[in-house]
Amino acid sequence: MAEADNKLAEKTVELVRSRFGEAVLEVVEHRGETTIVVPAEKVPAIAKLLRDHAALRYNFMADLTAVDWPERVPRYDVVYHLLSLETRAVIRLKTRVGQPGEEHPAVPTVSTIWPTANWYEREVYDLFGITFRGHPDLRRILMPEDWTSHPLRKDYPLTGIELPEPHWGGQVAFQTPLPEGIGRQTMRINQSRPPTPPRPEPEPGE
Amino acid sequence: MQLGEQTELHITDSVQVDETTRVDTMTINMGPQHPSTHGVLRLILTLEGETVVKAVPDIGYLHTGIEKTAESKSYFQALVVTDRMDYLAPLSNNLGYSLAVEKLLGIEEMPPKAVYTRVLLVELQRIASHLVWLGTSALDLGAQSMFLYCFREREMILDIFELVSGVRLMTSYIMPGGLQADLPPGFDEKVQEFLNVFPERLREYHTLLTNNQLWIERTKGVAPISAKEAIAWGCSGPVLRGSGVAWDVRKMFPYSGYEQFDFDIPVGSNGDVYDRYLVRMLEMEESLKIVRQALEGMPDGPYQISDRKIVPPPKWAVATNMEALIHHFKLYTEGYRPPKGEVYQRIESPKGELGFYLVSDGTARPYRMHVRAPSFANLEALPKMVEGQLLSDVIAAIGSIDIVLGEVDR
Repeated sequence: MAEADNKLAEKTVELVRSRFGEAVLEVVEHRGETTIVVPAEKVPAIAKLLRDHAALRYNFMADLTAVDWPERVPRYDVVYHLLSLETRAVIRLKTRVGQPGEEHPAVPTVSTIWPTANWYEREVYDLFGITFRGHPDLRRILMPEDWTSHPLRKDYPLTGIELPEPHWGGQVAFQTPLPEGIGRQTMRINQSRPPTPPRPEPEPGE
Repeated sequence: MQLGEQTELHITDSVQVDETTRVDTMTINMGPQHPSTHGVLRLILTLEGETVVKAVPDIGYLHTGIEKTAESKSYFQALVVTDRMDYLAPLSNNLGYSLAVEKLLGIEEMPPKAVYTRVLLVELQRIASHLVWLGTSALDLGAQSMFLYCFREREMILDIFELVSGVRLMTSYIMPGGLQADLPPGFDEKVQEFLNVFPERLREYHTLLTNNQLWIERTKGVAPISAKEAIAWGCSGPVLRGSGVAWDVRKMFPYSGYEQFDFDIPVGSNGDVYDRYLVRMLEMEESLKIVRQALEGMPDGPYQISDRKIVPPPKWAVATNMEALIHHFKLYTEGYRPPKGEVYQRIESPKGELGFYLVSDGTARPYRMHVRAPSFANLEALPKMVEGQLLSDVIAAIGSIDIVLGEVDR
C-alpha cells in the first residue's frame, strides 16, 4: 500500500520536474508523504497538469489551507492536498507567499480546475488574508462580513479583541485606538488560571 | 345565505399564465434557525414560485475557532476539542486526530487490542451517526415516528460509550497512543446485547421506508448529482458513493487495522436522495458486521503503547514509582514534542473523508491543526444538487447530505 503510493508520488515529482524544471523549489518526504514546493504563479499550470495527466489524474482536491510562519519570509504556506480517485495517488503541493509589509498576499486561484476550491479559498482569505486572483466570489465565509482582521494569523489574539461599547456586530480595525478603559488582549495561552500577581517589593530595611 | 346552505365554489378567477405574465423571483431566507437545516445553516434561496433558481449557503454561525484553540493546547489537550467538531461522531474525530498525531510521532505499532477496540467503537459510532441522520431526515419529510425509533437504538450505543468511557457523547476515549482506559467488565455482554437487537430493528426501518410509496416519491430523482460533479465538488462519503463512485478510505487507504476486517461498500447509481438513503442504510449493516468481527476477535493485551513519554502512566504507578511520577509530571505540564514536520491523515468518518493536517514545529503544541471536514465540501455541492428543484426538495437534499454544522464551521 505504502509502496504503491510512494511510486506514484515519485512519478508525480518526476513529472512536475520534467515539465517545470526550476519551478520545483523543494521536495520533502516525511512519514511517507511527499510535498512539492512551487512558486505561487506556477500553481494553476501545475494543478492542471496534475489533474489532466493520463497516468496520474489528480481529480480530487481534498484540502486547501494555509499556515502562518510570522518569523519567516515568505510568511505563509498555502497547502493543497491532492488525491486521485482513479490511481490512488496522493501528493501535497505547497506554495510560499507573503513578503514583509504585504498585507494581502496573492495566489492565483485553482477554483477553475477543481470547483471545490471555491469555498476553501474563501476560508483561507477569511482566516489568513491571502487573496486568490481570479476567484469568482472572494468574500468571507466563516467570520461576519464586516470583520476587518484575519483570525488564524499568529498575531491575532486567541481570546479575540475587545469590542468597544456600543458595537453593532462589526469590529474596529486592529490598529484603531480603542476608547479608554478597553483593553487590547495580547496572545496569552493557558487562560485557565489567572496570572499570578508579582511578588510585592520588600520594604526598605527588611 | 341560510345556515346549512352550501355555496358553490367557483374556480374561474384563477390567474391565467401566458406570455404577458411577469414571473418574478423571490429571495427568501431559510434562516439559521430552522428545524430542517440540521444546525445553524442559512440558505439564501431565490425562488420562482416553488422552484429554486439559486441557492447560496451562508455558514459561519457555529464557528468557534477550534483550529486556533488547538494551537494553544498541548497535543493531548487538543484531543478534547476534536470531539466537538462532528458532534454526532466524536469517536471518529478522535480516531482521525490520534492517527495523525501517531503519524507525526512516528509510532508504527499499536497493540492489537487497542486496534480492535478502536475499530469496534468507531463502527458503533458510525451506526449512531447514521441513526441520527435517519431519524432527523425522515422527520423532516414527515415520517415522524422514525425519529423516536432511531433514538431508542442510539440510546443503546450511547450506553455502551458511557460504560467504556464514562461519557455518552464527547468521549475523547481514543487518544494518541491507544485508549484512555481499559475496557471494563460487562463490555462484551453489552455490545452483544446490541448486536442481538439491532438487525431486527434495522429490518423494521427498511419495512417502514424503503418500499414506502410516500418515501419513494419524496426521495427518488430528487436532488441528483452526477459522479463527475460529485468528484469535482469534493464530495465524499455516502454522497460520493450514492453517485456511483466506489470510494471508501477504509478500503483504499486502510488505517487502524481495517484491512483485517471483511466488509462491503454499498454504492448507489443515480446520486439522488433515495440512493444516498440506501447507501447509509446498508452501511449500517456493514458496520454491524465489522462490530461482530471485532467483538469475536478481540485480542487480549495492553490497551495503550508502552512508551511512557507519550502515554500517561496509571495512577497507582504515579503514587509509588519515581519514573512514573516524572513522566506524569512532564506529560501533563508540557506534553510530548513530536519532531518537526507535517502530516495529513485521512479517515472515513460517517459523513465522508475526514482529514487532519497537523504541522509540528518541534514544540509541545501543534503549530497548526487544520481539519478537512467532509460536510464542508458536501455542503458546497448543495447548490448544484438543488437548483431547478422544488423548495421541499431542498429539505430532502439537506437531510440526505447529512451535514453537521460543527465541522462545517469549526
